[in-house]
Amino acid sequence: MTSVDDSPELPPLPRDRMADFKEGVVPYLFVVPGLLLVFGILGYAVVGGAILSLNETDMFLNKTFVGLKNYRDVFSDPRFINALWRTLLFVVVSIALGIGMSMIFALTLYRVTRGKRFFRGLSLVPYFVSGVATAVMFRFIFTTSGGFANSVLSALGLPTPSWLGDPALAFMVAVLANCWFMVPFATLILLGGLQTIDREIYDSASIDGASDFAVFRRITLPLIKPMMGVSLIWVTYISFSTFDIILALTAGGPQRATELLSIYMFETAFLELNFGAGSVLMMVLLAFNTALSVLYLKVFVMGDHRRKLEK
Amino acid sequence: MDAPFVALQDLRKSFGTTDVLHGINLEIPQHAFVVLVGPSGCGKSTLLRMIAGLEKIKHGRIVIDGEIVNRVHAKNRGIAMVFQNYALYPHMSVRENLAFSLEMLKTETSEVERRIKTAADILQLEQLLDRLPAQLSGGQRQRVAMGRALVREPKLFLFDEPLSNLDAKLRVEMRAEIRALHQRLESTTIYVTHDQVEAMTMSDIVVVMNAGRIEQSGPPLELYDRPATEFVAAFMGSPAMNLLRGRVVRADGAPAVDVGEGLFLPFDDRAGVREGMEVVYGLRPEHLAISPDPASGLIGEVALVEPAGWETHLHADIHGRRFRAISTERLDVTPGSRIALAPDPTRVHLFDGSSGARL
Repeated sequence: MTSVDDSPELPPLPRDRMADFKEGVVPYLFVVPGLLLVFGILGYAVVGGAILSLNETDMFLNKTFVGLKNYRDVFSDPRFINALWRTLLFVVVSIALGIGMSMIFALTLYRVTRGKRFFRGLSLVPYFVSGVATAVMFRFIFTTSGGFANSVLSALGLPTPSWLGDPALAFMVAVLANCWFMVPFATLILLGGLQTIDREIYDSASIDGASDFAVFRRITLPLIKPMMGVSLIWVTYISFSTFDIILALTAGGPQRATELLSIYMFETAFLELNFGAGSVLMMVLLAFNTALSVLYLKVFVMGDHRRKLEK
Repeated sequence: MDAPFVALQDLRKSFGTTDVLHGINLEIPQHAFVVLVGPSGCGKSTLLRMIAGLEKIKHGRIVIDGEIVNRVHAKNRGIAMVFQNYALYPHMSVRENLAFSLEMLKTETSEVERRIKTAADILQLEQLLDRLPAQLSGGQRQRVAMGRALVREPKLFLFDEPLSNLDAKLRVEMRAEIRALHQRLESTTIYVTHDQVEAMTMSDIVVVMNAGRIEQSGPPLELYDRPATEFVAAFMGSPAMNLLRGRVVRADGAPAVDVGEGLFLPFDDRAGVREGMEVVYGLRPEHLAISPDPASGLIGEVALVEPAGWETHLHADIHGRRFRAISTERLDVTPGSRIALAPDPTRVHLFDGSSGARL
C-alpha cells in the first residue's frame, strides 16, 4: 500500500452546474416574490407617506409642495401634544402591564402539566377575537348601568363608577382591552423562550440554593432575553398602532382621554381629509416604532450571550 | 461496623400509575465511590434525584450523615450534583458559574475567591475562568461542572451519567480524572451510569439495578466473579457472558447441562443442583478455551471474528448455538473455520431457570 503523499493527484471532478444552480440560486428565487411584495407595499406606503407629509392635498389628491409646513402645524397643535402624551403613557402602561401579565401567564403555562395543550390553546383565544369584538365585549363589562363590572360591585355594596365616562378610568379600560388582545401572543413568545431552557439548569439552581425569585432574576430572565426583546417589539408595536379597539370602545373620549396618535391620525386624514398632516402623524408613529424596535433588538437580541460569542 | 454515611430505606417511587422504584434498601459507607448501574428505565436516575432532593419522597427514608433528609431541601442536604448535560448556566462565565451557589449561600467574597481558585487549580480551569460555557469543549464543560460541585465542599457528590455526552477517548480520560479526584478528596460519591465498563472501572461498590429493584451490590470483581442473578451475569462484563437455558443431566457420569440439539455443557458438581432441574448455564467468554485441536473440546464453526488488538473476540456456533469466546492469542481463523472450544467446568455459573437466582 502507498501512503497518501505518494498517491498521484486526481484530476478535479467536472463541475455540476445544475447542482450549483440548485443550491446557490434557486432558494433565492423563491424568496424574491415575497421580498418584492413586502418591500413594494411597505416601500410604497412609507415613501408615499413621506412625500405626502411634505405636501398639501385637496380632496382630489392634487399635491402642492409645502416643505415642512405640515410638520410645524402638527407639532404646534395642542391636540397633537395631548395625543402624543396620551400615546406615550398608553404605551408605557400597556408594556408594563402587558409584559408583566405575559410573563406570569407564560410561567404558569410552563408549569401546568395536566391539560397542557388545552390551556395553551385556550390562552390564545383572545388573540383570535377581532378588535371590534373585543371592544364590544369590554363595553358589556364596563357599561355604567347594567355592565358586568358594576353589577358585581353593586352586589358587593361597593360604589359603581362610570368606567367609560371618567377620563382616567376610561384610559385604564382602554389599556386593559389592549392588553387582552396583545398578551396571548406575547405569552406564546415568552413560553417558547422558557421551553428552550434545559430543565437540568433549574435542578442545578435548586441544588445551588437559589430561591424562586433568584432563579427568575438570575437564570430565567437572562436566558429568555431574546424572546423578551421580540415580545417587547410586539407589545410596543401593537400599543402604538392600536386603533380598532379604541375607536369602538371610546372613540378617543371622554375629553380626548383615549385619543391616541392612531385615532388622531385617522380623524385628521380620513375625517378632516388632511392627508398631509395625517402623513406627518404616520411618520411620527413609524419613527417611534422603528427606534424602539432597533433599541430592543440591540439590547435584548444582539446583547444575548449567544451573540456575544461571535465577537 | 460504622453507621453507614448514606442509608436508603425501603424507598419507593411511582409516576402516576407507573411504579419506578419498588423498595430500595442500600447502605453506603463514608468515602466510598458507589456506582448505580442498570439499563435505561431501571430507576437509577430517579433514585439519584431522590437522594439529591429533586424528587419528592412519599415512601421510605433517606439518611445522609445521620440525618433523615426526606423533608430537607436539596440546597440543605450538603450535596453537589454533576448533570448529564452539565447544566452550566449558559449566560454566565465559568467564574460566575462556580461562584453562583456560594453567592446564594451568601459566602464572603474572599472565601468565594479562595474556593474558586482551589477548584480551578485542581481541575485546571484557570485559563477558562472568563469564558462562557459555549466557548468550551465537552471535556472542559465537564470539568467546569465538576468544579461547580467542588466549590460547594459537599458531604456527598452525585453524578448523573456525566460522561455520556463525551466521545469515547475523552470518556476514558475523564473516567480516570473523576476517579483520581475521588482518591484525592475521599468524598463519598454516588455515580449513575448505564455503562457497565464505567461501573467496573470506577467503583468501590457497584449497585446493579433492574426494573426498579437492586439486583446485587458489592465490589465490582465480586459481582463479576459471582453474579447473584442471571440479570447481573448478563449485564456485567463485555463481551457478555454466554447464557444458555437447559436441564441438568448426567453425561458419562459427569454433571452437565443439556441445552438441546444434542449439546451437553459440563460443570463441576455443586450443592443444590439436582438432575432434572431447569437452569441457565453461564460461562464468561474468557473461560471458553479456544483450541485448534478438534479432540480437545466442542467443535464449533467461526461466525464472526473481532480483533480488538491485544485480544480477539470470536463468535462461534456449536450445534446451532451461538457462543462468544476471547483469546489473547492472534488466531488464524476466518468465518467458516472449524475450531474446538473447551468450557472450563470450574468457572461455570448456574442460575435457577425460573427465578434467575444463582445456584
